Amino acid sequence: MKVNAEPMNKNLWTKWFKVGVFFIAVGGVISIYRFIFGIGAVTNLSDGSPWGLWIAFDVVIGIALAAGGFTTAALVYIFNKGKYSPLVRPAVLTAMLGYGLAGFSIVLDVGRWWQIYNPVLPGNWQGNSAMFEVAICVMLYLSILVIEFIPVATERWKKNEKGFLKSISSFIEPLLNKVILLFIILGVVISTLHQSSLGSLMLLAKFKLHPLWFSPWLPLMFLISAIAVGFPVVVVESTISSRAFKTKSENHLLKGLLKFTPWILGLYLILRLWDIVYYGKISMLLSTMGLLFIVELSLFAIIPIILLNLKSYKNNPGKMMNISMLIIAGLMLNRLNTYLIAFKTRPGWGAYFPSIGEILISAMLVSVLFVGYKVLANYFPVLTKE
Amino acid sequence: MSINRRNFLKISAITAGTLVGSSKKVSASVGKDNFSKTYSMLNDSTKCIGCRACQSACKTRKGFSATGDNAKYDMPLDLNAKNHTLIKLYDEGDDSSFVKLQCMHCNDPACVSACPVSALIKQANGVVTYDKDKCIGCRYCMIACPFDVPTFEYDKALPEIMKCDFCKDQLAEGKSTECANVCPTGAIMFGKREDMLKEAKRRIDAEPEKYINHIYGEKEAGGTSVLYLSSVPFEKLGLQTFDSEPVPDMAESIQHGIFKYFIPPVALYGALGIYSLVSKKKDPTGGGE
Repeated sequence: MKVNAEPMNKNLWTKWFKVGVFFIAVGGVISIYRFIFGIGAVTNLSDGSPWGLWIAFDVVIGIALAAGGFTTAALVYIFNKGKYSPLVRPAVLTAMLGYGLAGFSIVLDVGRWWQIYNPVLPGNWQGNSAMFEVAICVMLYLSILVIEFIPVATERWKKNEKGFLKSISSFIEPLLNKVILLFIILGVVISTLHQSSLGSLMLLAKFKLHPLWFSPWLPLMFLISAIAVGFPVVVVESTISSRAFKTKSENHLLKGLLKFTPWILGLYLILRLWDIVYYGKISMLLSTMGLLFIVELSLFAIIPIILLNLKSYKNNPGKMMNISMLIIAGLMLNRLNTYLIAFKTRPGWGAYFPSIGEILISAMLVSVLFVGYKVLANYFPVLTKE
Repeated sequence: MSINRRNFLKISAITAGTLVGSSKKVSASVGKDNFSKTYSMLNDSTKCIGCRACQSACKTRKGFSATGDNAKYDMPLDLNAKNHTLIKLYDEGDDSSFVKLQCMHCNDPACVSACPVSALIKQANGVVTYDKDKCIGCRYCMIACPFDVPTFEYDKALPEIMKCDFCKDQLAEGKSTECANVCPTGAIMFGKREDMLKEAKRRIDAEPEKYINHIYGEKEAGGTSVLYLSSVPFEKLGLQTFDSEPVPDMAESIQHGIFKYFIPPVALYGALGIYSLVSKKKDPTGGGE
């Protein structure tokens, strides 16, 4: 990678950093409590609502928002748009943290976490299960993201360290450079598989998921929406990090990224609308859930497509940030709808709303994302300064 | 369909370089057309007097305590981790009936299709078994089950998925299920599925004015081991209307399409690799290198 990235070497101990550390400490205590007293002691989960915030937000939304990693890697390495390469390292870092946190919340959420390795054992393989596919792919892709991050680490260690770290870095780097493209392509393929499998998961719930969200095309819808949200996530990530580290913003690259977005969103919009027309669901739009459907599609696709066609965003970093946030909010609403709001709980059970404990765990994970990003970008050459 | 699925599993296993487990396990499960000899129960709601002897016997067999604050007496509103069968009352004036809930032991169970670690298995004798040593506690079975049967021990640090196990240890000894054994009115009949279907038809024919002319579970969601007769519409008993398509069919055919012999992922890998090389030739400044 010929990018002039360098460690930021800034003072970490800022106000927001302290807030993050506080939430991590609180979440850490709640995590310990959950492992000692069980899931019910911390969450509002029940036989009526087996999945809650931890699955819908921490895992499903977390993995969708980590799509910035594979979309940016694909853009630079497969479609060879070299000018975007300064964006790859931060995107890979964000994805690596995102997948790590999703993995951690899976450990928190599954009841029998001490057997979490069971999907890997060949005797247990269950090829019919989308959950099996998600489990294997998330583990594989997290490993690949770590491999993609190794060159960043070796670059630092080669220059700044002595002894073992320096020699191992000098040994690994040339070897890894020869094969890294194979891993990057594998990462893209695995991402397409499990991003779609997160949609496939709900195919078995065809009697429980509201018809406006249930569709045989859920896997494709989840894949396209994940691809669509990838670049907006990079825009937000880059904008926040350039503010945090007071580096020059990468607007010239970001506006280029966003020119792809309306096309992908348009494709998604057509698929969702075709789905409700083809399966005869139009009349359902005249209901509360129908309103929610319209709000979701407006936030995620319709309004962003209009705004991105106005062109005025191009020289306005604030507008790019706002449009990207809108798309991210729309995606989050879509995943929350599919996994929680439009999902019918067991008859006789009330609606689910997350407990304080569940919310604080999610707050911890978001904090780890920001704090971890800042620490790693401070130590390793992830961002470009000029 | 079941043949296809078997092939799929075998081929995935071969592709991944191992045959361990998968093929053996699938052969232990039942072929789709052959559910006549599997174990079955016929719940005749018209004969049930709501005494809950079945509920109590089920708890006693498993050694479960009462779930409420009052430790002597248990009247749960729904199946839970300590009540694997339950009598519910549907009451609408003159129109009233009891209904017994428990695992339906589906012919083609959604929970078995959902489970990522083969902890839930449809056995050749019809029983859907659970293996806690495989289970990771992801609760996808609870999401998938159209009858809302599996429950979970939320109050335990080391929890399990809980559901009716069809008294599988008693079946192995040649005995019938505990709930059928203790039922004083013969509302729960235990036997082979084809015999239970015959008996259900006989009862409907004998008293057509009493029964709704339908055996719930014969075809619902691909058919279930537990069958129901009723004098009030099944929907009112909380037994939802399902078509005869097994719940896993759509999900599995789509999942298999995406992974067919691993060709689509491998093809995508190849296509992306070739495109990467081609586009790099066009624009050598591109890429990271």
